[in-house]
Amino acid sequence: MSRPPFLHDFLRGFRAVIPLWLGVVPFALAYVVTARGAGLGVLDIQLMSALVFAGGAQFSAVGLFAAGASGLEIVLTTLLINARHVLYGLSLSQRLPLLPGEKWVAAHFLTDEAYGVVLAESQPSFAYLLGAELSIFAPWNLFTLGGALIGQGLKDPERLGVDFVFPLAFLVLLVPMLRGKVEVAVAVLSGGLAFGLSRVLPGGMALLIAGVVGSLVGAALSAERPASGTPTPSEAT
Amino acid sequence: MNPLPIILGMAAVTYASRLTGLWLRTRVPPFWERFLRFVPIAVFAALVVPALPGERGEAGVRLLAAALAAAASWRFRKLWLGITVGMAAYWGLR
Repeated sequence: MSRPPFLHDFLRGFRAVIPLWLGVVPFALAYVVTARGAGLGVLDIQLMSALVFAGGAQFSAVGLFAAGASGLEIVLTTLLINARHVLYGLSLSQRLPLLPGEKWVAAHFLTDEAYGVVLAESQPSFAYLLGAELSIFAPWNLFTLGGALIGQGLKDPERLGVDFVFPLAFLVLLVPMLRGKVEVAVAVLSGGLAFGLSRVLPGGMALLIAGVVGSLVGAALSAERPASGTPTPSEAT
Repeated sequence: MNPLPIILGMAAVTYASRLTGLWLRTRVPPFWERFLRFVPIAVFAALVVPALPGERGEAGVRLLAAALAAAASWRFRKLWLGITVGMAAYWGLR
């Protein structure tokens, strides 16, 4: 009796992402610590992980909550950070034809990691994609829930200096992306601009302006270069 | 501020971004494709720099720990290792 092909491919996709859990778990815990510092409750922390399910955007959102940014600023920043998923979807749909119903499902769980793993697979299928996607969704949600529940016992996370986890995690995500002069120039420009603007503007606005200006300058400066293939998936969501 | 409407808004724009790419059959103009590729670099840098010094007069220690974490991240490209090095240096030095 042969195994049903769906389950077989699903498990293959799920397994392909397991080595990346090492990056997901500390990122999930860092998100929870920052979210609690921003005053979010267990339910909000968990809803964001299940409904938004985008580590970078969740992380910056709780940073903005802590800085007292407005809801509009937080949603616009989320849109800016997650707009790269349009590219992933375009690229995936050319490589892997999906039925309409499959698109509605696959879209919710799409991440950098799942995209990267599916691109690297010679025979992808919807089942493989879904397995890879849920292999990030499951640990991300389990560890944000666990962290949110356990973290309630911690008395004063501020005194442990856990607010340092937030810039540290983004720095560690950023550094491997700085592969060329334009990348470094964009990082220096955006960082400096955000630093200056955050003195005079709300944190969310400063982030939006620095993010848009830096990306525009990067796109303009790299105009002469041929497209450099597929985007490298970062290690965390 | 009630976070629930904000979370729902975040979920809506994120799901729309993911679904749009899967449904579209067109290609993004090259300039905007490059723009999207630079967004993580620009946004992450803009998140890091203003938050690095902190607000408790530990700027020197935090910058040194961040430099060590950046070096570890550049060398080994592991998220968990970079965070571990940075936090260990920070707790050791403060």
